[in-house]
Amino acid sequence: MATVSTHAFRRLAAVHGNRPLALAAARFHSGRPSHVAKSPAPRKDTPTYVPGGPILLGTVNDPTTFPPPSKSDGSHHWAFERLLSATLVPLTVSSFVLSSSPYPVLDGLLAVSLVVHSHLGFDQIVVDYLHPRKFPILGRISAWGLRLLTVGTLVGVYQFNTEDVGLTELIKRVWQA
Amino acid sequence: MSAILARARLAPFKAATVARAISSSSTRAANPAPPDGTPPQKEPLMKQFKIYRWNPDEPTEKPKLQTYEVDLNSCGPMMLDALIKIKNEMDPTLTFRRSCREGICGSCAMNINGTNTLACLCRIEKTPKPAKIYPLPHMYIIKDLVPDMTQFYKQYKSIEPYLKNDNPPEKEHIQSIEDRKKLDGMYECILCACCSTSCPSYWWNQDEYLGPATLMQAYRWMADSRDSYGAERKEKLQNTFSLYRCHTIFNCSRTCPKGLNPAAAIAKIKLELATE
Repeated sequence: MATVSTHAFRRLAAVHGNRPLALAAARFHSGRPSHVAKSPAPRKDTPTYVPGGPILLGTVNDPTTFPPPSKSDGSHHWAFERLLSATLVPLTVSSFVLSSSPYPVLDGLLAVSLVVHSHLGFDQIVVDYLHPRKFPILGRISAWGLRLLTVGTLVGVYQFNTEDVGLTELIKRVWQA
Repeated sequence: MSAILARARLAPFKAATVARAISSSSTRAANPAPPDGTPPQKEPLMKQFKIYRWNPDEPTEKPKLQTYEVDLNSCGPMMLDALIKIKNEMDPTLTFRRSCREGICGSCAMNINGTNTLACLCRIEKTPKPAKIYPLPHMYIIKDLVPDMTQFYKQYKSIEPYLKNDNPPEKEHIQSIEDRKKLDGMYECILCACCSTSCPSYWWNQDEYLGPATLMQAYRWMADSRDSYGAERKEKLQNTFSLYRCHTIFNCSRTCPKGLNPAAAIAKIKLELATE
């Protein structure tokens, strides 16, 4: 019995730091607080996990918060992705129907669109699986690595399109080889 | 009169089926009707149930699958009946949530044979293959089949799931039939979390992404003609995570035990945000 209660107190102390024990005990009980009761302010520090204890702190009456709204992260980003994907279809077809050599602008446009399209797609993967909020080091490395890769590809494509046969012609030749 | 005629027309068919039933039961030598008039006992039909077990009192023990054998002929037809039978007759420590047993409370949501569903709406297949029952995937477990739903409810609260209108009319708040129809397929959601916990995006980014159930309820209030806070509700979702982690995987619509379509609601939010 003594071990149980000391364990419980140690656990409370671990979870709630040096808060008053009464408040800590109130949160320790899992019963629903009444609707009029003011929910405690969200805690900034992350307490250490106690084996067997709840990982998600707070009650169901503390709503989650939203990041500051930004259309460039939200709807504009989404719409740009869709429009770019949809544009790639006629762009690809027209690049291959029209011979590439007399239309370097079209060839360049296709190359840039493809690279940007790929960048956005890979960026979604990084945000999904390697976001800096969960992977502070690896996430930043991947995000900047992707940007570096995109810029490098753009430079390479520019040089290839200006000094060599161009992207469409290359794919045509590889296809027919 | 017509009822009598109908019965007369059915009579020969009925007699034939009854005769067939009698002959089949009499040929079943292993299962004779007792002579004292009590109903015949069916042969036991055993099926294995492999159920996820984890006890928070022993946090160092790894979670395991525990196998129970249940006689389906003395058990109700649904998975929840089997769980209740196991808890009542075999192992009272088995822990799961249940309440209404008719698919309206959403308590008994769990992963049965690889699909998130309500145990009370999921039939036990009469096959020898063991049934596997896990809690909702990628949730913190409180005990056995009981997941911690705190985050799910916090997210639901964050979208303010109630009517917001600064100038409500004096009398009743009238809505046209067409406007009311927009809410069909959304207001029926029971928040069982089957869809959200089947979504890979929700698995990886549960802390920021709202998930299909909460997003469909967000749209339920955007689509309500009586609500005047649509612009504010939409603005909240203008960020990388809350809405746009949906990659149209469609697990939500496939798994919904109520047959709703959260993916369609999310698509409508995206369209409205893109065209406003």
